Amino acid sequence: MEMIIIEVLSLLFAALRSATPVLAVVLGEIMTQRSGVINLGVEGQMLMGAMTGFAVTAITGDPWLGVVAACGAGILLSLVHVVLVLGCGANQIASGIAVMILGGGLSAYYGIPFVGEKINSFDSFGGSGIGSIPLIGRFLGATTPTVLLTLISIPVISLFLYRTRSGLHWRSVGESSEITRNLGHSPVPYQFAAIVFGGLMSGFAGAALAVDYTSNWVEHMTAGRGLVAVGLVIVARWNPWYALPAALLFGVSEALNLRLQSWGVDVSQYLLATLPYLIPLVVLMLSFRGLKAGGGGMPMGLKAVFTNS
Amino acid sequence: MKKPLSILLASTLLATSISAMAETKVGFVYVGPKSDYGYNYAQDQGRLYLEEHLEDVETLYFENIPENADVQRVMERMIRSGVEIVFPTSYGYLDHALKVAEKYPDVHFAHSGGLKTSDNLMTYFAEIDQAMYLAGIAAGMTTETNKLGFIAAHPIPQVLRNINAFTRGARSVNPEVTTSVIWTSGWSDPSKESEAAEALIDNGADVLTGHVDSPINYVQVAEERGVYSVGYHADASKFAPEGWLVGAVWNWGPMMVDIVESVEDGTWESQHLRGDLLTGAAQLSDFGSAVSDDTIAEVEERRQMIMDEEYQVWAGPITGQDGKVIVAEGDTMTLQETEKMDFLVEGVEGRLP
Repeated sequence: MEMIIIEVLSLLFAALRSATPVLAVVLGEIMTQRSGVINLGVEGQMLMGAMTGFAVTAITGDPWLGVVAACGAGILLSLVHVVLVLGCGANQIASGIAVMILGGGLSAYYGIPFVGEKINSFDSFGGSGIGSIPLIGRFLGATTPTVLLTLISIPVISLFLYRTRSGLHWRSVGESSEITRNLGHSPVPYQFAAIVFGGLMSGFAGAALAVDYTSNWVEHMTAGRGLVAVGLVIVARWNPWYALPAALLFGVSEALNLRLQSWGVDVSQYLLATLPYLIPLVVLMLSFRGLKAGGGGMPMGLKAVFTNS
Repeated sequence: MKKPLSILLASTLLATSISAMAETKVGFVYVGPKSDYGYNYAQDQGRLYLEEHLEDVETLYFENIPENADVQRVMERMIRSGVEIVFPTSYGYLDHALKVAEKYPDVHFAHSGGLKTSDNLMTYFAEIDQAMYLAGIAAGMTTETNKLGFIAAHPIPQVLRNINAFTRGARSVNPEVTTSVIWTSGWSDPSKESEAAEALIDNGADVLTGHVDSPINYVQVAEERGVYSVGYHADASKFAPEGWLVGAVWNWGPMMVDIVESVEDGTWESQHLRGDLLTGAAQLSDFGSAVSDDTIAEVEERRQMIMDEEYQVWAGPITGQDGKVIVAEGDTMTLQETEKMDFLVEGVEGRLP
């Protein structure tokens, strides 16, 4: 029995580890889309964050500085989306793809000198006494700061979005920028903040991946996780609380893909490798009925992006 | 999506690296970044060796070129700019290189790891599985759980050879040993490789190795979790000062010098050139401090036997996963057979996809 509990716990914590970078992007993108703007560039912002975070950690030896720099890099790149979408009124999808390609290319180029560098990453919490808690202690002890920070940001974001006046405006901008304007508020500052916040979270996600989780930098190391996150925003129904189960869905499938192999389960690795994409897709399809009926929580302002942009 | 930029960068490199003074221009094409600390890094070290040791040679290179028609355009562009010897260094470049070779009969091609040749295309590779076999011996003598872990990208012959050689080496000194394999379905996905390493260790493996683009990820996880690691492609000992055992690494430089010199003096021939431990194209890295003196002595003795050709890695009996004899006692697999390997040996856990 204890063996099974340990197996399940180790699967759950493995899922949490792989889900963390995705979760951070999902949270950021939920906030962006809640203002009526979609940003596919998060993939590129994540890569810039990963590269910058790794580089700064390698140079300064301080992973916290790396994380801060990664957030800055994500914000800087998201400003391209700000200028194109808010400044020039460009198509949001096209602008997002441009940002994605830009981030991929820039990070690959500027990251070259840092490949094969060894960095000092965060210590896990194992040394702080948490590790001695029976059963779950060894797993809790193995978690790292970025996992905790990402989890803490869920209630913070929810409080802001649902319990503050600014959060109310933020959401109303996403529902209809016209009405917001008629009420005497400009939607632009909110959308600006929303895109920049998405940049911060995806930059942070990059650092979680490169500085904390793998302690390694390789070009295009996000391997599509940013785009997966944009898809998971729909699964999470634009709700920060649902972001956690949505991202865990991805994390569990990825962990399961690898663990099933180590347990010797007789399934083709190619089929297993599709799990992290297949399972969210199935959940999306199953919840589609609900989505159609109640709008699925999609900010109405987003409709404009898909219909007449 | 990364192509336009890399081609732009590569063309600036192209412009600066060719000088009119050179007599022989040699071009390299890499499938990944030359700084990947793995396969492409090793090939590029060969290119640098070539530049250093042959004064009349100029080199240029293109990175991140996918294994499709793009590589043909890249090679043609190199040739039009005066390149006389082309090194298409990735396995999947072979058919494209053959097409370009037919179009430019005066240019010489040296493809890495293929099994086809033409009038002006040869192949070169090294039997690095000899080094993996020796590393397997070190792993088999060091493991306490008798479980080894192998993180593999794709089930191509080169990868299967390494899994099998590593396992056979380990079982030659410790028949209790099994190797668990996890496939990541990609040459470079750090997050997946780290998680695969965690899964193997959770499952009891206490020596990790692998065949993905760079050994950094699994070596780092192994060190963090306090287990041993064996590197591949490049020496990653600095990432695991405690748990590093040994690694199998490439040394392409001297072989590339031989190929270029043979073109220059007219002795070039269309052939499958293969290096090994003896020629030095495949090598065993230095041992880590975790390896006992007994283990080192055993590995060195077996290395000498392989170098003296008293022992061959692919000599029978070789038993498959299902217990059936694949190579009978007294028989040895030929080069062609090993380079088309499509089975896993007894002692490997995990299936061929």
